[in-house]
Amino acid sequence: MYDLIILFALLLLGYVFGRMAEKRHFRSIIKRESEYQNILTFAKRFPLHNEGDQRAELVGGNVVISVDYFKRFVATLRNLIGGRVTTYESLLERARREALLRMKAEARKKGLNTIVNVKLETASITKGNKNQVGAVEVYAYGTGLLSTH
Amino acid sequence: MVFQNPKIPEGINVSSEHPLKNFIYLLLGVSAALIAALLVLFYAIGFIAKWVPFEEEVRWAESIGESLNKSSGKNGRDAQNGLLEALGLPTSDKSEDGFDEQYAVRAEKVGSYLQDLANKLAVAQELPDPIKITVHYIDQPVVNAFATIGGHVFIYQGLIDAVESENGLAMVVAHEIAHIKNRHPIVALSRGLGLGVILSLITGVGGDGLSTNLAGQVNLLTSLAFSRGQETESDIEAYNTLLKYYGHGLGATELFAELVNSGQETVLPEMLNSHPLSQKRIERLEKMGESSSAGCSYAAFNCTLTPLPEFAQTFNQ
Repeated sequence: MYDLIILFALLLLGYVFGRMAEKRHFRSIIKRESEYQNILTFAKRFPLHNEGDQRAELVGGNVVISVDYFKRFVATLRNLIGGRVTTYESLLERARREALLRMKAEARKKGLNTIVNVKLETASITKGNKNQVGAVEVYAYGTGLLSTH
Repeated sequence: MVFQNPKIPEGINVSSEHPLKNFIYLLLGVSAALIAALLVLFYAIGFIAKWVPFEEEVRWAESIGESLNKSSGKNGRDAQNGLLEALGLPTSDKSEDGFDEQYAVRAEKVGSYLQDLANKLAVAQELPDPIKITVHYIDQPVVNAFATIGGHVFIYQGLIDAVESENGLAMVVAHEIAHIKNRHPIVALSRGLGLGVILSLITGVGGDGLSTNLAGQVNLLTSLAFSRGQETESDIEAYNTLLKYYGHGLGATELFAELVNSGQETVLPEMLNSHPLSQKRIERLEKMGESSSAGCSYAAFNCTLTPLPEFAQTFNQ
């Protein structure tokens, strides 16, 4: 019985705070994406026209976001029957976009305006540890350039 | 060529479905499937466990409660406490000097009396050959008796005090023997273990050491939950045993009547209780008594209650 109460409390905690954090994060992501809109990012290894590029530096952004108990619980249920794990999809979406934004923030700090060869790496922080809520890491990196586009 | 960062449209990677809706559908679907699967498992185990050979059951009982086979009411209070401790049951007070020897003599006497009674009832109940009953007598004022795997029956002094005649005691002993005869303990234990393992696999609680953890819990042996159907089955079997052994069913309701009178019965409604309510049991037994002509129509038997031997009465008075 106590187990059920604890489970319910954890779920409620995870849901309320997790959802609050997610909504706030998405608002902030959308706002900052428009702020950094003038930093161009390319997946290509080399700039399309590289005359006038004065500097080239590594830029990267790293983010770790924790799964909340609610998300994990829903995902565990999903594990049983299969299908889209929507609770994790939004988590990874946040992590990817946040990592790209931080990479762009670093580029701007360094006075760069273009990033080429952009790559994303994902890692699960608590891999292999059972009974842990877990967290996801996304690292975005690329070559920042000062371009005269 | 001019490049620009377009604004990414929202809602492609993120589902717009409310997470709670998703959660509730998942929870309902999964729990319905789970309950159905567990029900199937519950009945399947009940069916299969009956075919576990009794010798194997004895071995299980020994592996869980090692001291089970060592004493059946022979040694002193220390030995009894050792057994109780090994089973995770409350122990009796430490004995005083010079008390232990006297105690041991009596405990052995009561123990062998109970064992003897159980053996006779087992014969009357036509207990199949490999099954052996081992009675453990426990000198505590608890009104309780229970059967567990391996043919072990525990009888408390409090129960002997609660009945008025040997017939009343025999009803309880025969009831426990009937549980063992119908393999209820092994079924209950298998169900408990089986469902426990499955549930913990699903919920992810427990981990690797789980199966050893579960199997090592000695109180599993002493807290087997029989269903009400099994209790009723054992009541009927026990009553028929009384008819066969004494020639009449008098005294069968003594314990239940005592439970009703002393208000010791739990206040839970019958639905929530594993045992049928005492009052109901009395009524059913009385009905059986009318239909089976237990009301002493056999001329060959005299219709009297067999008294309890004096040494079986409470020692600590």
